[in-house]
Amino acid sequence: MRTPQQPHYEPVSASPVKSFFVSMLTRDIRLEEAILDLLDNCVDGILRTNSHTSDTNRPYDGFGAEIQFGKDSFLIADNCGGIPWGLHNYAFRMGRAHDREADAPGTVGVYGIGMKRAIFKMGRHCLISTQNGDHRYEVEITPTWIDDEEEWRIPVSSAKKPLNQDGTTVFVGDLYPGIRKRFSDDAKAFKSELMNMVATHYAFIIDKGFAVRINGDVVKPRPTRLVFHKDAGKVPAIRPFMFRTKTDEGVEVFLAVGFTRPIPSQDEAQSEQEEKRYSSLDAGWTVACNDRAVLYCDRSELTGWGEAGIPRYHTQFTAISGIVEFRSDDASKLPTTTTKRGIDASSALYLQVKNKMREGMRIFTDYTNRWKGRAEESRRQIEAAGEPLAFEEVKARAETQGLRFAPTTRSIPAGLQYKPELPLPKRLEPRKRRISFVKDEEEVRVVAEYVLRDPDTDPSMVGEKCFDLVLKEARR
Amino acid sequence: MRHPPYHLRVNKAVDRLALIEAIRHLEKLDDISAYTYYGFGGPYLEEFRLLYELYPRMRMVSIEQDEETYKRQRFHLPCGTLRLEKAECGSFLAQYEPEDEKSIFWLDFTGLEYAHFDNFMTLLGKVATRSMVKITLRAEPQDYIGSDEAEELRLAQEFRRRFEAVLPDASASPPVGFRRFACLLQDMVQIAAQNALPGALPLMFQPVSSFCYSDGTGMFTLTGIVCARSEEFMIRSAFHGWQFANLNWAKPKVIDMPVLSTKERLHLECLLPCSGSAGAALREALGYLIDRDRRSTEAKLKQYADFHRYSPYFVRATP
Repeated sequence: MRTPQQPHYEPVSASPVKSFFVSMLTRDIRLEEAILDLLDNCVDGILRTNSHTSDTNRPYDGFGAEIQFGKDSFLIADNCGGIPWGLHNYAFRMGRAHDREADAPGTVGVYGIGMKRAIFKMGRHCLISTQNGDHRYEVEITPTWIDDEEEWRIPVSSAKKPLNQDGTTVFVGDLYPGIRKRFSDDAKAFKSELMNMVATHYAFIIDKGFAVRINGDVVKPRPTRLVFHKDAGKVPAIRPFMFRTKTDEGVEVFLAVGFTRPIPSQDEAQSEQEEKRYSSLDAGWTVACNDRAVLYCDRSELTGWGEAGIPRYHTQFTAISGIVEFRSDDASKLPTTTTKRGIDASSALYLQVKNKMREGMRIFTDYTNRWKGRAEESRRQIEAAGEPLAFEEVKARAETQGLRFAPTTRSIPAGLQYKPELPLPKRLEPRKRRISFVKDEEEVRVVAEYVLRDPDTDPSMVGEKCFDLVLKEARR
Repeated sequence: MRHPPYHLRVNKAVDRLALIEAIRHLEKLDDISAYTYYGFGGPYLEEFRLLYELYPRMRMVSIEQDEETYKRQRFHLPCGTLRLEKAECGSFLAQYEPEDEKSIFWLDFTGLEYAHFDNFMTLLGKVATRSMVKITLRAEPQDYIGSDEAEELRLAQEFRRRFEAVLPDASASPPVGFRRFACLLQDMVQIAAQNALPGALPLMFQPVSSFCYSDGTGMFTLTGIVCARSEEFMIRSAFHGWQFANLNWAKPKVIDMPVLSTKERLHLECLLPCSGSAGAALREALGYLIDRDRRSTEAKLKQYADFHRYSPYFVRATP
């Protein structure tokens, strides 16, 4: 039998196609997140300059970015040092070459895709103008270049006008119809959402001096705050659980979890659930990598809720918030996803730290359960502790109060932790009994008006007053 | 349940008549008798009475959750075309399935809760195209002013937490002035509308009028139409030229009617409408001040000139 002759196989092409970068990669990221990627580039730019001061509390003072969007275009302009000509191969290439030398410490760009993905997400025409020292140049991406599968080089020209300060401007035009609609028909809602995302995800960076304006409005930071008793010697007292460590790979971790406000009464927790008042929005875990929040107020299993003995998130836990900070000079060691707005849940480092997050959280879920039904007493303790503090203030107060961080050599990861001693409720005396019941809201108001002359009185006070009156009557 | 005398509130009455005027403009596009009107009529069912006079064939539904008020409504039932529903607004909207039947909906809330925006968004997602939706909300900045700094901070935080999902800037405190507060509410309604009907969908919410007023309690109200994006020009054209049209989310117009006697009103009405400075012309016609000074008198009389056609007469009658 004759063996059929095998055809000659030519090598197949595995070269990339532009449409993969232009149309596919952009689907993995929300528009707001793509814009945050552009802000990340601004901050990375600051870290490459010599003029930022890493040893102060406000290393980004004097630096800022202005975002403007409308139905025809998007623009982001910063004064963050510009793109050094030496980085042009990285800044404009799709992806990061493996032999590229290390970037400035603290930057978050890892994959070399953020700026390009953001541009391709929005439109088909882009002009990037940048000034860094003696270099002043412009890079233009046109629809023709995008459609040409063969051409991978982008022309660069000298910028005509010098800028007052080194910085970069990214202009995107020829917007896609969906983007145009979001920038015009949905402009109010989109701006509100973007301001909210910048205020939360950039809270640490804005707090450290970076200024962001969106269509003319300054974004104010919205940091997560934790109650930390103002008196150093007071024990027991409301303070956060804190843990810090530094891994062998050089990643510094600091986490703090505690109360951000008084715990809700049963009525408040119930009404929040029923009325969907959204007041849970600032409860949960915020995870920051090199100052950028990659996860904001998460209340899922991703941050330990509802697993390994921790209850699922419920509105009764609306007062519990936590912050974890990861810092590394090498951004590839940080446990983030490629979008930099999510946690790599399989990261060994993150899984270890999550143990500590749960350990801290348990203290506060336990406190909430123990004080259930006595929210008023608990409220007084939490309010007596003073105003809640932002993350850096939490670290500073831990220092000034000289709290003892004990080594945790037996746990993984090893590190130093401060475990607060929270006030415990006195046990109800054995002869005392709790009474609770549910009545129609309007009827409660009628009774409140009758017994306390104020229809808006807290229902628990109305019930207690009724009991006292009847008891008095019964004892006559 | 106690109710303020809604039917005797002058500014509210003007707002109610402005709704009728908006419906008249809508009539340029559609046969109003094919619409169903839904509202929270309160114990006196005032707007239903008015609508029945003008559109006797229009079906109407009153939504009321309070048992006693519902009984009182049954007592006041003005016509056979009105159906009384005893239901909470959210539950009613969950069951509401208009399909292609057009609606005129007045979400006439007396308070300010996040749930009201939620109901508004649900409704925008359900009504048939070319339906009219009006939302009224409490606009009382005093509710967020505390007795001391700590209280004020707490109230501002509570406001931000409650309404974060629809605030233009979730870091900002609620404004102190009534008009600025009303502007903020309008921004919140606009964000809610854009969230409910984002640009990617073929439907949009086109505002047609917005007002703020106080009959003792500050209120903000906005009326708009859910329409196909391709119909935007047609809808705008139908309302174009209406003195009180607000087609571009401009600041809400203030309704602040002066209290005038019947004799004064009759004296002034023969001069209306008047071109130019209506406030000054009417003040001269009266020959005296009706408010604290000349400026505020002219402002009040300008209000009268603007809204006199909508202003009700309250007269003493013996049954």
